[in-house]
Amino acid sequence: MPPRIALGVHRALSPTSRVQFRVRRCASTSAASPEIYDVVCVGGGPAGLSLLAGLRASGATQGLKVALIEGQDLEKNRLPKDATLDSFSNRCSSLTPASVKNLQEIGAWSHANLSRIQPYQEMQVWDGVTDARISFDWDSARPLLSPRKPSQPTTIAYMIENANTTTTLLSRLEELGGVDMFLATKVDSIDLGTDTERVDLSSWPVLTLSNGKSLAARLLVGADGANSPVRTFAGIASRGFDYDRHGVVASLKLEGEGWGGPDHKIAYQRFLPSGPIAMLPLPGNMATLVWSTTPDRAAKLKSLPPNDFIAMVNAGFRLSPTDLDYLHTMPSGQEEEIAWREKHTPFKKHDIPMRVAHVQQGTVASFPLRMRHADTYTGERVALVGDAAHTIHPLAGQGLNQGQGDAAALVRTITHAVQTGQDIGSILALESYNSERYAENNAMLGVCDKLHRLYSVGSGPLVGIRSLGLRAVDAMGPLKGFFMSRAAGGV
Amino acid sequence: MNPLRHEFITRCRASSIDPPSKLRYLDIGCGGGIFAESAARLPGTLSVTAIDPTPEVLKIAEGHKKRDPTLVQPGKLAYLNASIEELPVPDTPADGYDVVSVFEVIEHVNAPGPFLENVIKHVKPGGWIVLSTIARTWTSWAVTNVMAEDVLGIVPKGTHDWNKYINEAEMREWFLKRGWGRTGGLRTMGVVYVPGLGWKEVPGGEGWGNYFFGVRRDE
Repeated sequence: MPPRIALGVHRALSPTSRVQFRVRRCASTSAASPEIYDVVCVGGGPAGLSLLAGLRASGATQGLKVALIEGQDLEKNRLPKDATLDSFSNRCSSLTPASVKNLQEIGAWSHANLSRIQPYQEMQVWDGVTDARISFDWDSARPLLSPRKPSQPTTIAYMIENANTTTTLLSRLEELGGVDMFLATKVDSIDLGTDTERVDLSSWPVLTLSNGKSLAARLLVGADGANSPVRTFAGIASRGFDYDRHGVVASLKLEGEGWGGPDHKIAYQRFLPSGPIAMLPLPGNMATLVWSTTPDRAAKLKSLPPNDFIAMVNAGFRLSPTDLDYLHTMPSGQEEEIAWREKHTPFKKHDIPMRVAHVQQGTVASFPLRMRHADTYTGERVALVGDAAHTIHPLAGQGLNQGQGDAAALVRTITHAVQTGQDIGSILALESYNSERYAENNAMLGVCDKLHRLYSVGSGPLVGIRSLGLRAVDAMGPLKGFFMSRAAGGV
Repeated sequence: MNPLRHEFITRCRASSIDPPSKLRYLDIGCGGGIFAESAARLPGTLSVTAIDPTPEVLKIAEGHKKRDPTLVQPGKLAYLNASIEELPVPDTPADGYDVVSVFEVIEHVNAPGPFLENVIKHVKPGGWIVLSTIARTWTSWAVTNVMAEDVLGIVPKGTHDWNKYINEAEMREWFLKRGWGRTGGLRTMGVVYVPGLGWKEVPGGEGWGNYFFGVRRDE
């Protein structure tokens, strides 16, 4: 068990300069007894909302008293009602069929704005150094000569704006009701409760909120992101490293709907030594870019005027790593330089995404890439879900799905605990959540990390070996099917 | 072990027609209150009375109970320092309990017959006695007396008196003779402890090791 701070020691979540003030205020509020909750979820992202919707939707857990605390005003994170289909948020994720199934089971999927979700049926992945290529689609991922089963799914994953996921879950939560929502409210501090004559809350986390309220949690769920204050409170360490890479994102409009037409959408990912560049399909001619690259190149890309940025993205899928190295050093004029260089670079246009025609204003942004894994997901009266528990390289689009998997598993664990009269905050009751999710997430974190490292190598014998391996897997339908079903979340 | 107890009770009660919506439990030999607490937390529980003749264990149970605000609600969970012989018998059978639990107690009782005679007075018609114990077989002798006490030393020597163990068939006969469980209200479930996995159900395990036994009072 992680070390817990002794009773009465204040744990400030705010900068040191504010601690004094907080301590005094906390001392005055703790005199009043806190309101008792069964589950307090800190963080209203997709993982936290999915957990709450799951708890409210299941008969066994409906009787639990639950609260959500979210620092932001979630109304602002909602999909704009007047959003049109030629404008998309730059924050998109790939939802696996397993995640969609879970959203269906908790009754949320019917609230999704489906016109803004793009399923894709094929994935093209290739090596930017050798052009060794693997294609993923359920039709090629089967044993030779055996016919395709009609029941076999055709969708690899669904591209969805994070705002759409959030709105979907919020709508479901509103429909279900019964969650005490503390929105645009911050957690000022988390302390352990006190032992009074009537009741002993010394093992219970008591949260003091910015609105002055105080809540005691039988189970405190940290869905509060990579820098999770709940994780800090529980004394759970999170280990990992920064990749020294940034993910550059942008909402793009392509020249057409894609080579497969509207019913066969294709995702593309090219591994460059600086990191993978991915073009993921959205409805119509729209697509979302995720380009993992070095921080200085990310800064360079963000500083370019739209015409040069568009040219660089097109070059990212077409020109050699050596060309790209040079283009990043040019102070300006990328568009003309690329037009000239593309004339001398052979490529099959159907193997790469259609050309970018337009970049949506204000959508070019970047974020640092990290890998983190908490030592454990559970402590006494604490459970971590989503980014609070793990942060993954985005190259396989698994981050959001891992959080959804966590939420579903924690709902199952809590359900079983309620049905057998266990204290849902006890380490014993939470054990199955930790054992179910930890190993699975750890494996996925490891695979994505190894892939990143493998493809960071620009030359040498490893390049030949990895290309041989990629081509071999591409030729073996059943093996490819195995990888695909793992990536699909085990469906 | 504890989740299995609830699973077993749920199965027993599922065979009752028109079961009461809110249950009253009596837990005999409650010890530190593991089962009593969990029964009191169930949404379908009205109240739990838990008795044990040892004051020391009840002190631990009371301290633990305080850590859960649900359990300190008046009337939810009451610990009594008493043996079953000392507990007042209900005025009418209908004032008895819906579920009377006797977990891991009978194998330590010197005279199981008279003990059970006292227990059954507290069950209301339609209510259940659920108990768990160990069958008197070579397997149970080797595990509880030789392994646990002599070899591993994980329980104090003399904890188990193998001769006191009651086999499932004997238990069944004892209740059927008194007119209990004749209309199908009788269930058993064998369980075994698997290191690393905890207690698991084993079909047929009641014949050779630990088992749950549930029987309904018909009238």
